[in-house]
Amino acid sequence: MLGCVWHYVYTSFLRYWLKWFIRQVTGTCELQRICDGYQAGAARATRTEYSLRSSKNKVLRAALETKKADLWPRVDLIMKEKNIKPQKDPQFKERLHICLLQITGYSSLFVSVENLRKEVFDSDNPEHEAMLMKLWHLLMPTVNLESRVTKQWGDIGFQGDDPKTDFRGMGVLGLSNLVFFSENYTMEARQVLSHANHPKLGYSYAIVGINLTEMVYSLLRSDALKPHFYNTVQGSPELQHFQQLYCYLAYEFDKFWVAEEPESIMQFNQYREKFHNIVRTHLQDPDVSLKLSVSAAN
Amino acid sequence: MIFFNYFFFYYYFFLQGLLSILRKLKSTPDQEVRILLLGLDNGGKTTLLKQLASEDISHITPTQGFNIKSVQSQGFKLNVWDIGGQRKIRPYWRNYFENTDVLIYVIDSADRKRFEETGQELAELLDEEKLSGVPVLIFANKQDLLTAAPASEIAEGLNLHTIRDRMWQIQSCSALTGEGIQEGMNWVCKSVNAKKK
Repeated sequence: MLGCVWHYVYTSFLRYWLKWFIRQVTGTCELQRICDGYQAGAARATRTEYSLRSSKNKVLRAALETKKADLWPRVDLIMKEKNIKPQKDPQFKERLHICLLQITGYSSLFVSVENLRKEVFDSDNPEHEAMLMKLWHLLMPTVNLESRVTKQWGDIGFQGDDPKTDFRGMGVLGLSNLVFFSENYTMEARQVLSHANHPKLGYSYAIVGINLTEMVYSLLRSDALKPHFYNTVQGSPELQHFQQLYCYLAYEFDKFWVAEEPESIMQFNQYREKFHNIVRTHLQDPDVSLKLSVSAAN
Repeated sequence: MIFFNYFFFYYYFFLQGLLSILRKLKSTPDQEVRILLLGLDNGGKTTLLKQLASEDISHITPTQGFNIKSVQSQGFKLNVWDIGGQRKIRPYWRNYFENTDVLIYVIDSADRKRFEETGQELAELLDEEKLSGVPVLIFANKQDLLTAAPASEIAEGLNLHTIRDRMWQIQSCSALTGEGIQEGMNWVCKSVNAKKK
């Protein structure tokens, strides 16, 4: 209760008085102090985002919804509004621009990911079919598919004779992640597949991949990936950065699964939850940066 | 002093009433019912489960292993076990048979190519000793699709009328829109009550 009152008083009065006071003393506005005082990455971008979001000034708040092409003029507007002289603080403009790219880029990344997810896999779409075939050839370079509908799909971890029903709620996003991993980390993907095909410790490679796509998608949607992208991309994060993160999860989950030695595939959801918690813990670290690193032991 | 007495009595009776209500709540805990949700992959089991629990159904992925949820319905606590349907994990189904009160078997009514396969799996389930006498509800799912076969056609194809050793029911439904699910669950609760007697 007391906390609520304090929070209300702080956000509606104290914060502004405090800001005004510091501004009078130091001659710099909050945004300048953030861009100067904090390192590039989550530390700077998260604070900038908070500052803009809680600003009373429309010009500043609107910066969060500005399109990528209009960001430079928006930075100029903010500097004019806040009376910031480029001569006095030469680095400010560039730094704020990068923060804005990161913040608005995260929202537009979600839009493009969501569009791909909503795209239903369609056997009549030659592009979709080509992606599916590409996945097969990347993972199984020496084996030819006997036909389009075949039990062989089970060898790379689809459920039935036709993968098209397995994409479901993740749509083409699930497929494109599987292809991205196999294409950019071919050796690693094949290694993961060989673990997945282990007679006792195995799991369904493609299905688990689609499941992990759901994990990384939900993390993106809940804004949990912000610190990671702010730390790793000094600009607006693109689809490929999202897919890199999927590769990290696919690779790390396999390592985790093999190390845990679950009794059988029926325990999948318990271990998935455990893995999810580990990832979430990583993401709470302000310095988080999740990158697939291949250990020499493999 | 009189005022104090009045106050005291009111307070006392109020507490008594509250306690009796609490005791009553405690003395009739919901009866737990174990429900097994089976069927081929892509039948709609997880969508059905999420629909029962009033959860979002737009991000569903194929089930590795199983999902479990508890739902309150008509004085019952329904513990619903949704087991993955892919061929590779069907051998694990039997690990979940013990103490099952009702079996719900889900069929994709639009996937005619797999009617034979789904019929075989159902027949094998009905032959299982651990499931003998367990009431079975068959959901003829995906009725929202134009190509879906009607429940009557499926019942005939599966020879359901030859089932004599247990209560059974076929219910057409759409896990996507929620249509028909409530009717099916009403039958589930009814059959549990009937078995109790």
